[in-house]
Amino acid sequence: MADAPTKPDAPTKPTKPYRAIGLHGVLVVARQEFRTRVRTGRWKTLLAVWFVVLALITGALSLGFADEEGWGVGVFVVLLSFVLLLTMVVSPALAAQTINGDRERGTLAMLQITRLTPAEIAAGKLLAAWGAGLAVLVVTLPFILWPVLTGAVGVHSAVVSLVVTALLMGVVCAISQFFSAVVARGVTSMLLSYLTVFALIFGTLILNAMAAVVSAELFKRSGEDHGGWTWWLLAPNPFVVLADATPSLPHEVNCEKFEGPVYDGPETSYAEREVCVRVGSDLDLFGDISETMREMRRGDDRDDYHESDSFAPGEEPGNPGPIWYYGLGFDLALAAGAFTVTVRRLRVPVEAVPRGVRIA
Amino acid sequence: MLECGVIARGVRRSFGDVKVLDGLDLTAPYGKVTGLVGANGAGKTTLLLILATLLAPDDGEITVAGLDARARPREARELLGWMPDTFGVYDRLTVAEYLDFFADAHGLRPRAGAARTAELLTLMGLEPWARQPVHLLSRGQKQRLGLARALVHRPKVLLLDEPASGLDPRARIGLRDVLRGQAAEGVAVLVSSHILAELEEIADRVALVAGGRSEGEWEIGDLLTARRGMWRLRALDGPAAAAALDRADVPHQPAPGGRGLDLGPLDEPEAADVLAGLVTAGVQVVAFGPVGGALESAFLSLAETTAQPDDGGPPSRQPPALPDGFGPREVI
Repeated sequence: MADAPTKPDAPTKPTKPYRAIGLHGVLVVARQEFRTRVRTGRWKTLLAVWFVVLALITGALSLGFADEEGWGVGVFVVLLSFVLLLTMVVSPALAAQTINGDRERGTLAMLQITRLTPAEIAAGKLLAAWGAGLAVLVVTLPFILWPVLTGAVGVHSAVVSLVVTALLMGVVCAISQFFSAVVARGVTSMLLSYLTVFALIFGTLILNAMAAVVSAELFKRSGEDHGGWTWWLLAPNPFVVLADATPSLPHEVNCEKFEGPVYDGPETSYAEREVCVRVGSDLDLFGDISETMREMRRGDDRDDYHESDSFAPGEEPGNPGPIWYYGLGFDLALAAGAFTVTVRRLRVPVEAVPRGVRIA
Repeated sequence: MLECGVIARGVRRSFGDVKVLDGLDLTAPYGKVTGLVGANGAGKTTLLLILATLLAPDDGEITVAGLDARARPREARELLGWMPDTFGVYDRLTVAEYLDFFADAHGLRPRAGAARTAELLTLMGLEPWARQPVHLLSRGQKQRLGLARALVHRPKVLLLDEPASGLDPRARIGLRDVLRGQAAEGVAVLVSSHILAELEEIADRVALVAGGRSEGEWEIGDLLTARRGMWRLRALDGPAAAAALDRADVPHQPAPGGRGLDLGPLDEPEAADVLAGLVTAGVQVVAFGPVGGALESAFLSLAETTAQPDDGGPPSRQPPALPDGFGPREVI
């Protein structure tokens, strides 16, 4: 070998401690992802369509409920339900191809050999997908604001329900991203993400119904009470979480005096009693769901509603114990697990290459 | 012994039952462009993925820029630049934004990143397209952008997978200049290719891989001097040339398609003698040169001599030491 080439200064630095995640790295990825999303252009049309749809719904609801008392509650509940449903539909589309899509396009490996860590790549991508989804919520704001301004719904309720919706959107994004990290093809991960959303919405309902049947059968056979345990099957349902987390909407207590039988020992006498019931808006769907869930948890679901709902004057039963934080906690834990696996799947060097996955 | 930017020893990697790398050795010294040559499926891409710390080998030692790449992949990553054979670019991003983003991802401060981007745009001749969306670039421009991306953090080791494939001759010359420039600055450049002619312009050294194993490493100059291959002759009077060759006992046959005569195999001194003899004999020679690329014929003859020391038979164009698919057609 004739010429001795100059040797570049050899790295003699000791092993540097590396952070697993840093804000800068997350933002670098998120900004980049968000920028490419924003520039694809169609989102403007989509948001405009969404705005028009919301305006139409709000208008129709306002007209339809105009005669009803508490129409503002009706508008609020229906709008939020609709927004949550759309959120559940949009989130997989936003996040279910973030990783395998980049693999297919051949852009992921070039990120992986930069200084960016797997956690930064995963978090940045998740943030961008979630952020894009939050734009949908922002468009919804003016319509939600209306019932708030007219005083039908408290600010507190509106804020809490929007935050919960945003969190649920993040959960679905994280789960969708997980599928995009573990499945090679974008179509498959998209499908699996939608199946998961359907499982959360309808699967929990079906499971709960089946459990209730089993419970009733057991009750019939053994005579023992097996009620009150099926509620948690329904708790992770996004609609249940949202309904139960939304602070109870304004309601009145109506008390009535009436002559009724008093069962006291063997004799039955008649006396005048005063019985009170809570009267919310007929349109408060969230309140109904929430109440049903909480009663289910207490094992009250077999009782006669009317009886259990009534109370003596001044003895309005307190909050029977919210269940939303179990559900939301479960959903968030699911998302955290999904995120952890996503990060693990982004680590290089890759030891075992799954079938159909290209490294670069 | 040269200081090496890349040292691979006994690298093994299987995918399922398929052994892709089977104890491969490779070196790529600083300041040189090393060509990594092998047929499709010889394991070039897998090796480059392993060197780029994207894929873990089953076994073997990998030293990249003086670091044990298996034990310290993150540090090695900061010292190596890698360009895959095919890669995507982000839609709706301009060329300058694309490079800025990777400067950012490599931890360069914004000002340093912008300066580096400007520098690379000039180096790659991409300035006129700085504000163009990346997906509108031609293949050659995209390839240059990919190379610029690989150079953003001033790596000491440059790993390029088939960088010249699909480039027109002018773009290839541009690529050569950039790679030679990098080597002149002391970077160890490793370039894979299944097309030998591409490497003829670019590489100083060639490492041959076949079936996941190393077949050897050579300096291009040594290869050219030592080669023993076929030569093609065109003369105004073909039959006269053939007669002259018969008299001199030089084996020859008509070249396909009436292109002249193929002589040999001959090494360079022999070829020079034959040419001198023909001219002296009054044969009007129009063209005389190695069949195919010089490097290619050098390589083929090398493979022949190592594989068939002296069986005396006619020279085979299919070197038996090479696996299927590494025939001349593949190489050309």
